[in-house]
Amino acid sequence: MVDVPVSCRSREYPLFKEKDVKILVTAKRVEDPESKIKVKPDGSDIVREGLKYKINPFDEIGVEEGLRLVAKHGGEVVVVSIGGKEVQEQLRHALAMGAQRAVWVNHTGALDQMGVAGLLQKVVEKEKPDLVVLGKQSIDDDQNQVGQYLAEYLGWGQATFASKVESLESEQEKSKTPALQVGADGKTVQVVREVDNGLATLECQLPAVVTTDLRLNLPRYASLPGIMKAKSKPIEELTPEKLGVDVTPKVQVVKLASPPERKAGIKVPDVATLVDKLRNEAKVV
Amino acid sequence: MSLPRTNPLLNDRDVDFQLYEVRDATWLCTLPTFAEHSRETFSLLLDSTRRLAREVFYPTYRPMDSEPPVLREGRVHVHPLMRKLYPQMVELGLAAATRPVEVGGQQLPLTVHSVASAYLMAANLSAYAYLGLSLGAAHLLEAFGSPWLRDTFMSRLYSGEWTGTMALTEPQAGSSLADVRTRASPAPDGSWRISGSKIFISGGDQDFTENVVHLTLARPEGAPPGTRGLSLFAVPARRPEGERWVDNDVRVAGLIHKIGWKGIPSLALNYGERGDCHGWLVGEPGRGLTQMFQMMNEARIMVGLNAVATASAAYHEALLYAQERPQGRPASVRDAAQPQCFIIEHPDVRRMLLRQKAIVEGGLGLLVEASWQADVAEHGHSEEQRARARWVLDLLTPVAKTFPAEKGFEANALAVQIHGGYGYSSEYLPEAWLRDQKLNTIHEGTSGIQGLDLLGRKVMAGGGEALKAFAQEVGSTVERARRAGVDPKWCEELGRALGEVVALTGELGAAGATGQVERMLMHSADYLELFSVLAVAWQWLAQAAAASEGLARGGEGRDFYDGKLLAAQYWFHTELPRVGPLVALCRSGEDSYVRMRPEFF
Repeated sequence: MVDVPVSCRSREYPLFKEKDVKILVTAKRVEDPESKIKVKPDGSDIVREGLKYKINPFDEIGVEEGLRLVAKHGGEVVVVSIGGKEVQEQLRHALAMGAQRAVWVNHTGALDQMGVAGLLQKVVEKEKPDLVVLGKQSIDDDQNQVGQYLAEYLGWGQATFASKVESLESEQEKSKTPALQVGADGKTVQVVREVDNGLATLECQLPAVVTTDLRLNLPRYASLPGIMKAKSKPIEELTPEKLGVDVTPKVQVVKLASPPERKAGIKVPDVATLVDKLRNEAKVV
Repeated sequence: MSLPRTNPLLNDRDVDFQLYEVRDATWLCTLPTFAEHSRETFSLLLDSTRRLAREVFYPTYRPMDSEPPVLREGRVHVHPLMRKLYPQMVELGLAAATRPVEVGGQQLPLTVHSVASAYLMAANLSAYAYLGLSLGAAHLLEAFGSPWLRDTFMSRLYSGEWTGTMALTEPQAGSSLADVRTRASPAPDGSWRISGSKIFISGGDQDFTENVVHLTLARPEGAPPGTRGLSLFAVPARRPEGERWVDNDVRVAGLIHKIGWKGIPSLALNYGERGDCHGWLVGEPGRGLTQMFQMMNEARIMVGLNAVATASAAYHEALLYAQERPQGRPASVRDAAQPQCFIIEHPDVRRMLLRQKAIVEGGLGLLVEASWQADVAEHGHSEEQRARARWVLDLLTPVAKTFPAEKGFEANALAVQIHGGYGYSSEYLPEAWLRDQKLNTIHEGTSGIQGLDLLGRKVMAGGGEALKAFAQEVGSTVERARRAGVDPKWCEELGRALGEVVALTGELGAAGATGQVERMLMHSADYLELFSVLAVAWQWLAQAAAASEGLARGGEGRDFYDGKLLAAQYWFHTELPRVGPLVALCRSGEDSYVRMRPEFF
């Protein structure tokens, strides 16, 4: 295990309250991976009809971590999503899990990672959270960029791929203790992150951006009492215009295509043929 | 060996179809009781419940089936997984979900609660059963208990702190509750002393909560024989004494070695061996069984749902297997050098799968319908609406309990069949669901009792009012199907079948009214079968109508609707034609088993 304390850049905003933490988490609407995804014949988009949607699972882990931190320290979890009115479903889900309120950036057109990070930056400047928690990537486009862009735009420290030391079957997980550790003075956060050769522990000054990996926690299921409470929790509507962000995409989707189908393999009669094929056809030896 | 794709337990698309296309569950939110709900609250709860079922409950099913509870030094030790599973159901809010806000509930329609629960039943029926039984016990206390009983026992059942049971059966009094012998004698402190023996008490002891409350039928001293002498008592395993909770002299006398439902113990209990078993009267003396029967519709709907869920899990398992198991080649391919096909490409395998689908989804339709009628019967806009729903619910209950249990067993056997030799091994799951399913034709009133209930009581109720209300429901479905462009022949055939059943019922009723009760009830089992074929055809016509409407809207998703129409066709072409012969049999007075004397066997 690598254990490298790294100091991050200083913060711009005063802390929310002495010990309370204010956490902004994202809840992107993505296609349910259990749905069958097909690309339209003209490659312009996927077939949307009959698809089910859910909160990006990495974001859901972010919501859970936010809720655990607030349960421990006090404070509030504000959840944000960008999209048409249908993203209110995901916001409502996060509210049913326990988030206190929601921000909906109403925008229906195409967005690239800079557009998303730009919008989030303005929401952060408005909300002034101590910590922004995002999924490390969303399972639709798997880009893994927004968290990093956002940290750069804000000039904040970032800790990506937050994971935990204990297994997801551990007592800590069962007791729903947060994996992120806010320092006793409320000025820092300790993040265990997954790296190629193990786990690294970072300490970041708050405010900071954290992105979550899959092994950070097991998100709770929204309970019926939680669902009923969520009905009266506020969802504030914003737009790119109100936030003053030009979201014209710099990245354009040219075409979507399914990966080519894998062809069946062949059996070779002996090792010599195999070596011959590896050398002369595959050219790997 | 597990298959790479996981069993969905129930088809989410079908659940949505049942709730929002066959009928419109958001209409229930126009009833004042359910006004706080919306499609959004329903969807969020269904989403949470199906995830809990698939991610947490389903993986625990086999371990709990393999390691049943043990009895050690008088205490039952259940699978330790229950310590984790029970609180999760409670945390989700399922315990008091349908109950009023005043008792900590969320006033959720039973219709939604039923489909949500079905996922948990399909995932691990025993684990759910602890909750189902506790709900039944708590509901009885809510309806009939004194404020003290509600505070002391009901609230702890709804909060998940304790579990509950229904303690009716005795070794000599199972189906025949008139013979219950457990005694109750009044004590000076206003409570009662209970003594006697009960058997087959599911969840009668466990070690994951601190207490178990048995809602117990007993006969107070001096009460008359028969069911009118029975009263209902709350008898906890541990009773309050001042500030302490002390042992209440309810002893586990034995543990039944069951062939299914192995995650929950079925026990023999002895009350008052030391003369120190305290019980508290629930409701009025002498009305014990009547009070229990007021909960009977709900309890029987739960059994029917369980049967649908158990058949559904097996159906989906068989479907996955058939799509991934290569064996043989299509009849048109003679060349053994060709690769093998998946067995789903064999028409006979598809026949078995379609039969399972018709039973499972037809059965689910029946249970959603019964739950819907229960919601309207209790919370409808007007007394007229409520009364009509009560007639339909009462009539449907024995059918909705028995059809999925009897035909579900057949569907479960087909799932074993599709797995071939592997299906007959404990390496695969279908054998376990087959064992589980069998109980559903036995508990909460055997199929035989349901047949007597339907023919002897329900179809005759209100001088034909119940049957009339049912016929009107069928009539409006036929109208909808005609408008939707469903094959007019199906509409006619269903109308004709209904007419035949109504006519037969009239004749049998007349026989009963003239004192020929034995003649009337001679074919009650066949009558129940007949009525089931009819009621499920009604459900399939409703589904065919909704599917045709869906196809007319155009767009993607045609496969789902095409599948619905073929399953409906299957029912109309292979099952509905059985109505004629079954009517003839019920009318015939065929008396072989009536005249068969014990010594002839």
